Amino acid sequence: MTLRKVGFGGLALAAALALGVSGCGGGGLTSGSDKSSDDSAGPIKLGMVAPTSGSSAAIGPYMKNGAKLAIDEINKKGGVDGRKLKLVVEDGACDPKTAAAAASKLVTAKVTMSVGGYCSGATLPTLSIFNKAKIPMLIPAANSNDLVDQKLPNVFLVNGTGTQQAAAAVKQMKKQGVKSVALIDDNTSYSKDITTKTAEDVKSDKSLKVVSKQSVTAGESDYSAAVTAALKNHPDFIYWTGYYQEGGLLIKQFRQAGYNKTIMVADGSVDTKLIDIAGKKNAQGVLATMTQTPQTIPGGDKWVAKYKKQFNSDPGPYSTQSYDAVRIAAKAMTDAKSTQSDKIIDALENIDGFKIFSGPLKFTPQHTLTSGGFEILIVKGTKLVLDS
Amino acid sequence: MDHLVQLVLNGLFVGSFYALVALGYSMVYGIIKLLNFAHGDIYMLGAFAGFAILTFGGGALGGGSSLLTLVIVMIMAMVLTGSAGLVLERVAYRPLRGSPRLTVLITAVGASFALEYGIALWAGPNPEVYPVQLKSTTVHLLGARITINQLVMMAIAVVLMIGLDLIIAKTRSGRAMRAISQDPKACLYMGINVDRVISYTFFIGSALAGAAGVMAGAYYGKIDFLMGFIIGLKAFTAAVIGGIGNVRGAVLGGVLLGLLESFGTAFLGSEWRDVFAFGFLIAFLTVKPTGLLGEKVTERV
Repeated sequence: MTLRKVGFGGLALAAALALGVSGCGGGGLTSGSDKSSDDSAGPIKLGMVAPTSGSSAAIGPYMKNGAKLAIDEINKKGGVDGRKLKLVVEDGACDPKTAAAAASKLVTAKVTMSVGGYCSGATLPTLSIFNKAKIPMLIPAANSNDLVDQKLPNVFLVNGTGTQQAAAAVKQMKKQGVKSVALIDDNTSYSKDITTKTAEDVKSDKSLKVVSKQSVTAGESDYSAAVTAALKNHPDFIYWTGYYQEGGLLIKQFRQAGYNKTIMVADGSVDTKLIDIAGKKNAQGVLATMTQTPQTIPGGDKWVAKYKKQFNSDPGPYSTQSYDAVRIAAKAMTDAKSTQSDKIIDALENIDGFKIFSGPLKFTPQHTLTSGGFEILIVKGTKLVLDS
Repeated sequence: MDHLVQLVLNGLFVGSFYALVALGYSMVYGIIKLLNFAHGDIYMLGAFAGFAILTFGGGALGGGSSLLTLVIVMIMAMVLTGSAGLVLERVAYRPLRGSPRLTVLITAVGASFALEYGIALWAGPNPEVYPVQLKSTTVHLLGARITINQLVMMAIAVVLMIGLDLIIAKTRSGRAMRAISQDPKACLYMGINVDRVISYTFFIGSALAGAAGVMAGAYYGKIDFLMGFIIGLKAFTAAVIGGIGNVRGAVLGGVLLGLLESFGTAFLGSEWRDVFAFGFLIAFLTVKPTGLLGEKVTERV
């Protein structure tokens, strides 16, 4: 209780400070209620909590660049309602404490909407911070069901959920006529969510059985214990639901232990580093459940070229979702003709058929995508391509 | 049966890494009673030194991914990490010698962070993939699988350990080390250059950790700036189990911890691996705080 009080007090103080500063800078240009005075001047700030350090540091720049690309496009066309958009990025480090601090910073910086969120475990604590500050969130990457289970009105997922990903995984297992499956997660919210949902889905199917469920600790090098345990019951299929660093090591160690059947990874492992770490030979034929990417969408190469031109590197995981999150944010604010939280949320709920990478957008009542748009990728050479 | 043999092999392999790192922990503690918490990061430094040598000088070494290249790189990295250990001792620990133990312990933790984030600044926070990935030929041993590389690495670890044991038992510096661990003040009166011997200890301990780092990098293929943290804790556990301050105990503790983890996870599930390892540490500290081979220390007044 006291903590919460302090939090409110801190927010109030921060808000008062921010108002004071803007009042000075504005030089009496603005008048009327405090809310509208802040609304109508200067650029509209979009906040993003993304990892630029820590174990998932590789992802941060991908997300930031994706969002930047959309913002530049929108600004070139005159912005939203005559105001330019501005991106404010804070490092979440894929760590709950750091992410919560980053979210508070964004609240203090008076962002209108949030378009960030990568690791589910680190995104969870930011939800209530943004909710209290009445900031609508479009989460581009984090996709644990835990996020929507909070039932917060300001939270929207631009990525498919764990349930949708698990369904895609089980569909692939059935397609391959698999009998026994080993599931491995890294004990994080995102990863555990997918394995739990996959195990539930498998349970309702008589021809399929989960023979082993392992959890590993992220950040270690030796997973021989988990590998040996998973292989004890000779599974036909292995599904790893964590991130690429451990994923690469696991693939390598499974292959070294003589396992030559199918290994599949979840979208957190979709990064070419996975292939580097596993070794090119070991990674061949590894499958992945992934939402659609520009590489797999007709006409997507044009987008990739544009991205490459601006940032001098290839887009990575969640560049597209971040790009889309910004575009959806702009669309919602344009539709709402306002930057007020309630109106934006209404506008988001009413969006129907807006074209984003994963198909025409319409949010479900739970604020998730109507279709997850998950598809199966396969490792060929040094790339992950669409499995045909 | 196959499964059991596999568990033993897994345990021995991981244990040999723990043992190599635990040696430095134990030696430093034995001589100046300091828990060098930056030691795990020296292991990480070794992995990155090897990475740098292979990246910038890979061509000069023939660029091959043979074990010989690895051994050459390992020796170079050992010299580098050994020197890093010397600098660490000179900069962070020597000025504080004689200060309360807590002060030095906190310095060690600080040194650990400095090393970790220093490397993160230099090499970036992303994990790096080792430029040399050893090709592995698998052999079957009593129904279990092990690669030739694993066997060679275990052999290298054993050679290094035997070498260290010989240094401590047979050489003048080794004798000096043992003497200082008994009574540093008396050694000073006897004309032993205590500072030099302590430096020497740091050099050897850090070189061994560096060797383990290069081997881990080449074998697992992935290195990152936080890789030393967990292995540092595990090596500390191994050193305590074996009796901290005792060199042979550190080896025994490392191998034992590897085996314990291997079997513990087989019966409890892999999410229990660290719980099991550190639970064992707590059990040892309560039941036999001196460890397996440690001697009971009587405080002399």
